[in-house]
Amino acid sequence: MAVQPEVQKKGFLKTALDVADDTFTRITAGISAGEMRRMLRGEPPGRPNPRLKPHSEAFLLHIKPTYYHESVTRFTHTFRLGLLSTYLFVVETITGIFLMIWYAPSPDRAYSDMIRLLSNVPFGQFMRDVHRLGAELMVAVVTLHMVRTYLTGSYKAPRQFTWFTGVILLVITLFLSFSGYLLPWDQLAFWAVTIGTSMAEAVPPAIVGETVNLLARGAPDIGANGLLRFYLLHVFFLPILLILFFFVHYYKVVHFGISLPASEEEVGQDTANKVPADRRVYFLPDVFIDEAVFLLGFTTVMVIVVAFFFQAPLESIANPQSTPLHTVAPWYFYWLQGMLKIADKTIAGVILPGVLLVLLIAIPYLDPNPSRRAKDRRIAIISGVVAGVVMIILSWMGTPQYAVQGAPSVEIVQELMPEEGAGLVREIGYAHLPLGVYDTRQVLHSDDHEFAEVLEEFQTSIRRFEEADPDFNNAYGILNISQNQPSLKRLRWEIHWLSADGAEETFLRDFYLHENSLYWEQYGLRDFSFLRPAAQGGE
Amino acid sequence: MRKPWYAYLYVKSPIIKIILGILSAMVAVAVLLFVGLVDGPRMQAQTANWDGRAIEKGAETYANNCASCHGLDGKGIPGPALNSRYFFTQRLNDIGFTGSLYDYVELTVAAGRPSKANSQWGVMMATWGAEYGGPLRADEVANVAAYVMNWEADALQQTAETDPWIPFQDTPSRGSPYEGAEQAAAAPAEPRAPSELFVSMACSGCHILDQPQTDTNRGLVGPNFGNLLENAAQRVEGQSAAEYIHNSIVNTNAYIVDGYMPNIMPQDFAQRMSEEEINALVEWLLDPDRQP
Repeated sequence: MAVQPEVQKKGFLKTALDVADDTFTRITAGISAGEMRRMLRGEPPGRPNPRLKPHSEAFLLHIKPTYYHESVTRFTHTFRLGLLSTYLFVVETITGIFLMIWYAPSPDRAYSDMIRLLSNVPFGQFMRDVHRLGAELMVAVVTLHMVRTYLTGSYKAPRQFTWFTGVILLVITLFLSFSGYLLPWDQLAFWAVTIGTSMAEAVPPAIVGETVNLLARGAPDIGANGLLRFYLLHVFFLPILLILFFFVHYYKVVHFGISLPASEEEVGQDTANKVPADRRVYFLPDVFIDEAVFLLGFTTVMVIVVAFFFQAPLESIANPQSTPLHTVAPWYFYWLQGMLKIADKTIAGVILPGVLLVLLIAIPYLDPNPSRRAKDRRIAIISGVVAGVVMIILSWMGTPQYAVQGAPSVEIVQELMPEEGAGLVREIGYAHLPLGVYDTRQVLHSDDHEFAEVLEEFQTSIRRFEEADPDFNNAYGILNISQNQPSLKRLRWEIHWLSADGAEETFLRDFYLHENSLYWEQYGLRDFSFLRPAAQGGE
Repeated sequence: MRKPWYAYLYVKSPIIKIILGILSAMVAVAVLLFVGLVDGPRMQAQTANWDGRAIEKGAETYANNCASCHGLDGKGIPGPALNSRYFFTQRLNDIGFTGSLYDYVELTVAAGRPSKANSQWGVMMATWGAEYGGPLRADEVANVAAYVMNWEADALQQTAETDPWIPFQDTPSRGSPYEGAEQAAAAPAEPRAPSELFVSMACSGCHILDQPQTDTNRGLVGPNFGNLLENAAQRVEGQSAAEYIHNSIVNTNAYIVDGYMPNIMPQDFAQRMSEEEINALVEWLLDPDRQP
């Protein structure tokens, strides 16, 4: 651009303003400063609409529709769950890349890398917690997205294929979450994944199942090779597959448009692509602002939750020799664990989930109902709700509350001081465990009211099991807290009882607790006690 | 289109929406700032936490595998005591191990201890580490070592009467952590001769005394010392040859001559030699008439 003649013609100020406006328009991919001002004021666009330019100029905008039907832009129509799933995938990718910097997928290093990440990397715990929370939220949001689509009947023609890709995306999300589970190489990870892959073993015929299991684990048992394979699945193969299906899914969503509320659209009718001019809501600026503000707000909530209420768990290092009591799958697989408790591995672990998946994919073809209105879809909605309730019941059955009670003595100690994780005793901590011998046959009291609560709980749970279990009579417990080393207390749990035939039985379990140990629950207010000046001394 | 009952929640103005977005972003940034501010103490607490948990795990492994010989309280019988002042202060010196006590414990647990056929101890220390055929994984060995090290505060309180240590017959003690040590601290040890230090501190391994350091005649690992007096004086502006050599011994990575690698020269000379010895060594190195 020849500047000099322009300045001579228009004057310096005008030329400078024109250059500034031109630069602005290039940055915004076609929106001039004046148009931006009109957008922010909420003024309608001129004709032809100058706000469509960025959709053809900018790559990221060209995949977004230029306008939506007014009825689908309302928050309560879609709850923006699809957008949220995509956003969470981006969050997972970003935090995941950061976490990869401090992580090596080898059993020799993985666990100590996690400890280093937690104790030596600024924002390391924060990133890990965001990644973990994001993964759980992503599973929840993708599921809710599917539930919404089901309840509004949006899977019907012409969107059957969109539904199919959506189901595949749900499955990939579950596998992504599950494959990430193994990477910390702690007991939680190791045993959840051992159980998970052992289901693959149940695929009939035996030769197929064994091969699949061997391929997943890289060896008969999970070890270095299995960890590497899960790592590659988690950071490479599954994300790429997800991105592929995401683009197909999103292309179909844009192609057919988001389904309108049932009252405004008949099945098979192409209303989405023929939006009357007066019902159009343009992406720029209205939908864009809505989406951006929604995601900002969501991010803020997530940051607050991670900063104060959520901590990803890290148990002891994986030990193939010892299965911790009450090994559980992640919550989104509780239903599967519940089914496994009532049926054998082949039926509950392979055939039923397989049938469920096929059913899910086939829903658009099984449902002949031509209407999307709720009042015409009683059967579909009722069966959907029933399926949801069954899932919740199965999930409850998957928790340790259902049908895996061990011996009463084991359970009593497990409640107060579990083999893995926090439990009441570790939560109150070293400082609140006065040395001494505490016998439940005596009246127990402690000046420390947190410890008094532990003793109370100890007595009550012994009494409760005494009443419930005929093989557990005249029971009493002794808790012996002694100083084992400087800053290290030993808690010896002794439980004595008479079995049904009158034989004396004893259970003995030693735990150690160090002054500096912090144990936490995954959900709940974060422990900020480290901000207080260190308590002096000890016993 | 009928308006739903919650229609009042709708925000219409784009400006208000944007302001809400900015406010929420500011809240997020504030929370992130808070997280960043407490991250230092948090990392410290986490470091202490995992050290503590390692000791807890080590305690369980110790009780199951080690306590039968070394005692639940670590005071030995039938095996050697670990919760012992001698063990924490004198043991390394007596066996001539230059690593840390933690390394010594970890190594001994993992690899076992060579022992004579007629040892005074009834049972031999086995090789516990999985890499040497034992039952414990490397992390379990490390935890046991952390647990043993945690006796230090207790052990250092012990006196000659309460220390449960039983001397090893095959490694006679060079001193006692009690009266002898106090005497040794009171009367400073005889300074060692520079020519002896030059060999015992392993200087002679890399620095050749009778070869000059020139462009065509360079020491392989460290510079030659034949013309040290001339070279050292020119190395760093404002430092005399003596100051330069002294600094290079005390802080070995402070100046690296071009073409040589840092971190080759041991960094603990200041602990292993007294100030007097270092000064004598510097003087000897710069002495043109030095006698080997």
